[in-house]
Amino acid sequence: MTRTATIFKKELTDILRDKRTILTMIVIPLALVPVLLTLIFKVAQRQQQRAETEEVKIALIGSDYAPRVEELIHADSQFTVVEGVAEADIENQIRVDSLDGALVIPPHFPDLVNGDQQATVKIYYRSSNTLNVTAPKLREVIDAYDDEIVGDRIRRLELDEDLFDAIEIESSDVSTQQEVFGKTVGGFLPYVFILFMFTGAMYPGIDLGAGEKERGTLETLLSSPANRFEIVLGKFLVVSLAGFISALLAMVGMYLGVRGIGEIPPEAMEVVWDILSVKVIVLILTLLLPLAVFFGAAILAVSIYSKSFKEAQSSLTPVSIVIIVPVALGLLPGMELNLTTALIPILNVSLATKDVIAGTINPVHLVVSYASLFLLATASMAFAVMWFNREETLFRT
Amino acid sequence: MIRVVDLRKEFKLNRRARKELGGGPLKSPTIDAVDGISFECQPGRVFGLLGPNGAGKTTALRMIATMLRPTGGSITVAGVDAVEDPQGVRTHIGFLTGNTGLYDRLTATEMVKYHADLHCMDPVLFEERRRKLFSVLDMEEFANRRISRLSTGMRQKISIARTIIHDPDVMVFDEPTSGLDVMTSRRIVELIRSCRDDGKTVLFSTHIMGEVPLLCDDIAVIHKGRLYFHGTKDEFEASMTEPTYEDEFIKMVGGAEL
Repeated sequence: MTRTATIFKKELTDILRDKRTILTMIVIPLALVPVLLTLIFKVAQRQQQRAETEEVKIALIGSDYAPRVEELIHADSQFTVVEGVAEADIENQIRVDSLDGALVIPPHFPDLVNGDQQATVKIYYRSSNTLNVTAPKLREVIDAYDDEIVGDRIRRLELDEDLFDAIEIESSDVSTQQEVFGKTVGGFLPYVFILFMFTGAMYPGIDLGAGEKERGTLETLLSSPANRFEIVLGKFLVVSLAGFISALLAMVGMYLGVRGIGEIPPEAMEVVWDILSVKVIVLILTLLLPLAVFFGAAILAVSIYSKSFKEAQSSLTPVSIVIIVPVALGLLPGMELNLTTALIPILNVSLATKDVIAGTINPVHLVVSYASLFLLATASMAFAVMWFNREETLFRT
Repeated sequence: MIRVVDLRKEFKLNRRARKELGGGPLKSPTIDAVDGISFECQPGRVFGLLGPNGAGKTTALRMIATMLRPTGGSITVAGVDAVEDPQGVRTHIGFLTGNTGLYDRLTATEMVKYHADLHCMDPVLFEERRRKLFSVLDMEEFANRRISRLSTGMRQKISIARTIIHDPDVMVFDEPTSGLDVMTSRRIVELIRSCRDDGKTVLFSTHIMGEVPLLCDDIAVIHKGRLYFHGTKDEFEASMTEPTYEDEFIKMVGGAEL
């Protein structure tokens, strides 16, 4: 173990002096995550403001048949009514962005409404528009007018309102705020830490395996009294640690980002602070640890097998995209942590993180997830050691 | 002491290598990099393993340093069997690889200390030995500079220092003066001589024939994995029919289609 500690210490010193590693392991998670988070929030906020204030240009055809609709539209300052548009030209005008939408009221509209029948109005809009507020806003106007007409009919016919509203739903959501938060926002957290953990471990992993072969330093290490297992173990510990630190810093970066935004409603922040209990933090860390062990062993195994830094990079870069798939699966509706999903690496961490944050984690599923990750990490480690013992791999040209 | 008996190493060839060697799919899937060589290196003597590039020198040295496992034959280093106890062998040797094999982001001192620690050296003993070596090799000036900023000569000095920091009984140098300037080469030659005078077993490989009369007590000439000569320097000189070592060497291996 002394030699493993020596190798660990040296490799750690070595990677901490590598600008590329510092960048992927420390700078990007700690600096980029808060910046990105703030940026996303600001852009979303700006879009929201635009949706609430931006001018909505519409054509109103047949307003004479429903003067009340015209009143309601004029009462909303966001609407600008464009005059003189023919119905046949509406679609074209929307396509060329001269209009955002249109409302067409047919000539027989008053007859149908006054005869207590159902009338139809037509709305035009373009759902592919980035903001896409036209249709909801027009529906809002029509719904308001519909309520007025129905209200008048009920009063005129001296009917009971309950006649038209036979069942009223009284909702009672038993989910705690923590559960809601965990199942929604909790899914985003694994995205961040899994991706950063992989990229944070990737460069040190390549450098300590394929890089060492390429530089010719591996031979000097092999001629030392350290045996192959001690060498692989020392390197593996450093690669796993790099991934773990990277993921941890990404989470610190997220925290700093959330604090930096400063415009999150206090009640939402209260839920965040409630979630950040020692138990939740410890549980998330215990999920990060086996994942870091798995990534460290797998990356090192590929790196040791590769002939050069470039070959290892070519093999591992696509993997960084592939690992997103199980994380994304974890966000699908109905995807739950159970005895099957707990066996699938990465997906299990993604689902378990959501449950941990929501406070609904099943201990059995958690243990199965740990076991699955450690089993895979052991297999990857065995591969790394096996390849390190093969002359064909070490001296591959 | 190093004793090598009927040493053989066979490498499997991949399809590309077979094609490069002009062979079809039925041609032998292996190549004999070292083919039944035997020699002995004695303490207090410098043994020169001579041969052109691709002769099998590095493969032979890698087997002695236990990086490669022999296909056949035996190697004993300081009384330890290299196949049965490779780790035991590595505690007795200092191996200088063909390239400098250094970590650019470490300083000269850190690099040497790393290898001392891998040999579990006592810190006090290390410091004493480091001072001595750094002084002999004239390394104090760049002791704390990162290796990436050093010249080839300086780097080779660090390689040598890390190879012998633990004061091994057996020293194996693979082309130690290759690509170095005259001053650095001379200093390294002097160091090898002083190691010999201290009673160490020194085995070094080279393709530079000019180094042979300067350094070697014993010589083995290998080519295409086979042994062409094994004896003392005096025996080699006595058998020479050509005016220089280089001419004699060319004549010796020329028959084997150099």
